[in-house]
Amino acid sequence: MRKKFHGLKKIKIRQSWNKINLYNIARSRPLSTGHLTFFQQKWAAKAAARAYHGEQIREKQWQRMFSRRLASVVPMDHRYLARFDGSEQAAGRGSGLDPKPDERVRPVARTPYMNMTFAPIERRLDTAIFRALFASSTRQARQMVVHGFVKVNGKKMIYPGYLLNPGDMFQVDPERVMFATGAEKDKTERRESRMLKRSKNSEAGEGEEAGEAAAESATPEQQKPSEQTPKEAKKMINDLMSQAKALLSGSKDQKVSAKRKQDIRAFQRTLKRTLSQSSSSVPTGLTDSLDAQLMELTSKLSISSDAEQPQTPEGSASSEGIFTPEDKAALREAMREMRENPIDPTKPYATPWRPRPFMSAFAFIPPFLEVNQNICSAVYLRHPVARPGFAEVPTPFSYEMSQLAFNWYLRRR
Amino acid sequence: MPPRIRKASLSCPLSHLPLSTRPQPSSLIPKYLSQHGACSRDFSTSLQRSTGLRRDMFRWLNGPGAVFRDPAEGSTNYLSAYDREGNLNRRKRSARSDDAEAENSSVQEVPEEELIDLKPFPMNRNFISHNVLSEELREEIYSRVVTLGRSVRVVSAELGIDMNRVGAVVRLKTIEKEWQKEGKTLAKPYARAVMEMVPKTPYNPNNPIPHESINDLPVHSATMQQIFEPTSESRRFTREDAAKVFHPKLLPADKRIPHPELIELERERLESVPREERINRQRERLAKEAQLATWRKEKKEEYERKHTKVIAPKAGRWEFRFTDVSVDAAGKDGRGPDGVGWRYGMPHEDRKRGQVKIPTSVPA
Repeated sequence: MRKKFHGLKKIKIRQSWNKINLYNIARSRPLSTGHLTFFQQKWAAKAAARAYHGEQIREKQWQRMFSRRLASVVPMDHRYLARFDGSEQAAGRGSGLDPKPDERVRPVARTPYMNMTFAPIERRLDTAIFRALFASSTRQARQMVVHGFVKVNGKKMIYPGYLLNPGDMFQVDPERVMFATGAEKDKTERRESRMLKRSKNSEAGEGEEAGEAAAESATPEQQKPSEQTPKEAKKMINDLMSQAKALLSGSKDQKVSAKRKQDIRAFQRTLKRTLSQSSSSVPTGLTDSLDAQLMELTSKLSISSDAEQPQTPEGSASSEGIFTPEDKAALREAMREMRENPIDPTKPYATPWRPRPFMSAFAFIPPFLEVNQNICSAVYLRHPVARPGFAEVPTPFSYEMSQLAFNWYLRRR
Repeated sequence: MPPRIRKASLSCPLSHLPLSTRPQPSSLIPKYLSQHGACSRDFSTSLQRSTGLRRDMFRWLNGPGAVFRDPAEGSTNYLSAYDREGNLNRRKRSARSDDAEAENSSVQEVPEEELIDLKPFPMNRNFISHNVLSEELREEIYSRVVTLGRSVRVVSAELGIDMNRVGAVVRLKTIEKEWQKEGKTLAKPYARAVMEMVPKTPYNPNNPIPHESINDLPVHSATMQQIFEPTSESRRFTREDAAKVFHPKLLPADKRIPHPELIELERERLESVPREERINRQRERLAKEAQLATWRKEKKEEYERKHTKVIAPKAGRWEFRFTDVSVDAAGKDGRGPDGVGWRYGMPHEDRKRGQVKIPTSVPA
């Protein structure tokens, strides 16, 4: 790998979500060609373009991939095709009738063919993984492939240079994607996970007896069948609701502060306590589904509320639910978020998961890919094409610059 | 000679710091720069100086570029949506139009992004971030194709989504459902974060919003030339004639687009055929097409059955298939694509420079 991948002195735009790269894209200006010879212009354009498009590919390899035939499409309107048979375009003197003086004809946008210069590179597996937003740079995507975390059509593919065919599906291990696109752990989180690892190791060394004893001592307290007093139940519900609301309000801003982590942990604790409070023998671990858990929670709390009802008739809600629908929705949302995005120090990324900084400025998915983010899989639908006004190859360079690069590769030197 | 020890390494005095040419407010200086100052390590002899370029970068990242650190709430967050100072362009635009009209709308509300706000690369006018299918729309496609059993072609025309994409969505959704059934963990937080950062096509049940152009005509290389074709003035020179001029075998655009049946449907509508009749005819056409497809498939299978000899051993899990090949298929130079085996004396090319040595396809 290059020594200076992201530099400030000589601007090179790279396929990466790095903040230096973002700064470079934001401040880069079009190539000033006034003082350069044509050869120098082409050289400069090609050098800049190749630093972005497939910098991991050797120049000769790219020269073999380059094709001067650029794919394009014209979107057709079936209504127009049904109405006219094409003879109207040959009317008059042979190129269609002139528009009436008061009629304004919108010019058809030019097809930016030159922006398709590096289209063959978009076929590569590593580039496609980066374009599908599964990796934060093409280099990282390449590493994922080489390390065996990527499958093509269900089979392991270890070649980052594999050229995808239309209809190929590629899958990346979701854990690797979460690691690649998630925020880094900070100092304290790294320390936390290190301590956890160390304690686990020492536990394994000492034997499981101590651990078992600890578990024994912990369980009786938790499973003690306590008769809930109505006051306790009410307090518990209030706690749960306030914590759930705090959790949801905190989830909007992306920063995960220590306070928010405390909130999440407190909610988790209360939830656990509430679920294990009643004398029912069903262990909480068995009710895995969210709705089942919520149902259980509601039923337990409404039983206690029923007991409460005769004593304080004016304070209680209707018997069928102690939660209002909004409360229930909030609770469900909080539980779902906690379950899907838990705090887990064993993960290699910051938990709860959040996108890495400056990701949103780079987040786009080109139309030749269809991505399902839930399973971290995507289908390469077709080769990228140009259409009037737009080219599908994501390139940071202007039309003119791409044209110069195209011209460089047209010629054999 | 005794080792030379520089003065700086002994004490790390602050006077060795390069003078900052640009005075800047302390809030803009990144933390680690202000903390560490001259030497980051006590034993280091070199000065850790921050260059002007780095200072400029951090000034931008903490100033106008700070908006990109976290995703914008409920919208995309691309470079071209902001001006140099880091203000939203569309907010300024809407404020301007509000001034022209009236000042009754709230200031906090962020207007919808337009096409010019969707350019991730400010220098490239010809690339925008295209919409992706929203989760509801993907679910709807899956239910229409799998649950209701409609064909991909019909669903594509109904929702305005390319046929390839419809097929891909169904394929991916099927795997997602399988994973859910198996209890595998999905990358939900990642998916939710990404879907908030990209523009989406929502699902509107009553009036589906077309996602993309479904009738894209690929530009054929034969049509890339300009031809001067003299014909009589009285001749009705249609698309079909034009296609013939480009190449005798080139089909007209009406037949090369992915949804030619929509033209037929529109034509009947223009001829004011009653609605019921149109629907019936369309159904007939679709049935006919499906029939044709099955007939083709059967014929192909029959051909394969006829020309392959299958020997399936009772014990094994495999079967042996034999197909007839011709020696002449390799051609004169022994390198014909249909040739089988290696012709004696012909050197292999598979280790040559420039030959593709990795797999070129993975059968699905």
